[in-house]
Amino acid sequence: MENILDVQGLRKFFGNLEALKGINFQVGKGEVFALIGPNGAGKTTALRIVATLLSPSDGKVTFLNHDLKKNPDKFRENISYLPEEAGAYRNLRGTDYLKFMARFYSGSEDKEKEFLERAQAIAGLGERLKDKVGTYSKGMVRKLLLARALMTRPALAILDEPTSGLDVINSLEVREIIKRFAREGISILLSSHNMLEIEFLSDRLALIDKGRILDQGTSRELKDKYQGPNLEIVFRSALR
Amino acid sequence: MKKFTNLLVKEIRELITKQLVFSLVMFFVLFYFIGQLGKTEARRAAAAQKIAVLDLDESDVSQKLVQSLRPLYQVEAAKETSQEAAVNALRGSTTNFLLVIPAGFGESVARFEAKPVETFTFMRSFSLGAGRNSAVFRAVLTALNNYMSDEYLKQKIAGVAPENLKNPIKSKDFVIVKDRMAEGSAADITGFVFSQSVFIPVILMMIIIYSAQMVISAIAMEKQNKTLETLLTVPIRRTSIVTAKMLAAGLVGLLSAAIYMLGFRFYFSGFTGDMRAGTDVSQIIHKLGLALDAKALIVLGVSLFFAILCALAMATILGVLAEDFRSAQSLVMPMVFLVMIPYFISFFADFRTLSLPVKLFVLAIPFSHPFLAIQNIMLENYQPVIFGILYMLALFVVLVVIAARIFSTDKVLTMKLRWGRKKVVL
Repeated sequence: MENILDVQGLRKFFGNLEALKGINFQVGKGEVFALIGPNGAGKTTALRIVATLLSPSDGKVTFLNHDLKKNPDKFRENISYLPEEAGAYRNLRGTDYLKFMARFYSGSEDKEKEFLERAQAIAGLGERLKDKVGTYSKGMVRKLLLARALMTRPALAILDEPTSGLDVINSLEVREIIKRFAREGISILLSSHNMLEIEFLSDRLALIDKGRILDQGTSRELKDKYQGPNLEIVFRSALR
Repeated sequence: MKKFTNLLVKEIRELITKQLVFSLVMFFVLFYFIGQLGKTEARRAAAAQKIAVLDLDESDVSQKLVQSLRPLYQVEAAKETSQEAAVNALRGSTTNFLLVIPAGFGESVARFEAKPVETFTFMRSFSLGAGRNSAVFRAVLTALNNYMSDEYLKQKIAGVAPENLKNPIKSKDFVIVKDRMAEGSAADITGFVFSQSVFIPVILMMIIIYSAQMVISAIAMEKQNKTLETLLTVPIRRTSIVTAKMLAAGLVGLLSAAIYMLGFRFYFSGFTGDMRAGTDVSQIIHKLGLALDAKALIVLGVSLFFAILCALAMATILGVLAEDFRSAQSLVMPMVFLVMIPYFISFFADFRTLSLPVKLFVLAIPFSHPFLAIQNIMLENYQPVIFGILYMLALFVVLVVIAARIFSTDKVLTMKLRWGRKKVVL
């Protein structure tokens, strides 16, 4: 499988705190790659670096043969990032928010229309898209943001805790949407501390703790290696 | 450009909220209403006052005295026969003033020992308009004294105009501004210039503070609503994000300040407008070159424009430090102080007489320059105004570079004013 993202020896310092201690991973074309680990493990920092929000202290990040440090604009043109606690502009209507975001990626009105139609289908909010975002529930905002992240069919979608704060029904819907887009060939880099979610969604995953990747592989490979019936047991075994 | 316009429109839409529109409309309506009320009161006060006169003397002298007041006031002769009766009769009327000339007044005048007249003012309210009542009898007594002293002098020294005896030395006053000279009183000119330009520092202060507050709040709201991270990952240059925020805040700040100032203008003109009307001081002002012509207004506008740019750039940097809308409000305070210093100096002090360290401190504040520019432009000292503009331009470039650097690095997400506590999201 052709790799579209290659992360080598990635380190990140916040003052004296070393948040990432030289991690390596790759994401293949059309692959769902997940980072799993407890709070504070460094998942969000890694995702934020790939999303061009933070600059790496050391190491190399290459995406579609572009170096992150030299050409972050190329990253931004081809990625889409959904932060864990993201919001949308409360004074804008749902459709206006989607239009606003679509215009950064669409070169023509036809393309913009295509993005909007896709976003409306993903969000599934129907007529509520005509209401202001400030009137939406948390679940509705999350679906709107997921629609925003996927409507452009980015080469790489970076999803940080995509079902964070959602109820069971909404979580299931969001997972189905992610799975569908992955099947259509979009690469996805996601993070979660929900092991069941990762097992359902990911093709490959990395176990991360205290800024280090403990191990990585497919869910089946890791379960076999650590003799665990599920990823929670695998993670605990890897920590030892 | 299309992406930038998209961002700019969004920023403006975010800033123009229902709450902002409502507060601006309410402010304008309220101040317009107060101004109209003040105007009505001022007109009433400026009109010839009604004065009731009870002449208990009915001598030739007292009648002439009453006649001398007729050109200045609406004089009504009281028909009562005693002071008590006259006061009681006026209690229910709209006449606020009663002048009582005592019996024997004419005879006492003949002995140069005039009996005191009695004045009664009916206080029917304690409003600003009613406060002017106190001045009415002072003016009446001055008019009466003038008349009486003229009469005395005519009796004692016939053939000489009393005015020449009372004020033998006359003066012609001239005011010089640079190479121009005009006949007029320095106090009148100072008063006129102040009344005409009193709005300019207020406009400056409001525009600067408003724009700064807008941009700090805009960045803080992006953080509070968790939209900044998404915005920073879209394919648009970080400098465009900074510029769009500054431009939108500048435009909305300018619009808000204009509405506020229009409201203020109605408010103040209610109290001062009619008093200025009809004076010929404005002709002297033009003769002295103190009126702000098109060139002067353009230079002042350029100075103000660069002050706003500096304010926006400073506010952008401060906005990054804010965590939410509430903390953004406290971050506006340093900007307010920086604007208040030159604002008060322009009102209460003469910049030229300040000590050197204070002068340097004032000049280092970019917002001082448009305040100082007003007087310099009036006096045609354009050199310090140009230096001020160049200083603000240089400072703006430095501040924008700093702001762009902050937005291009991790600092836009990690810089926080947390008073000693550190927070890092892993």
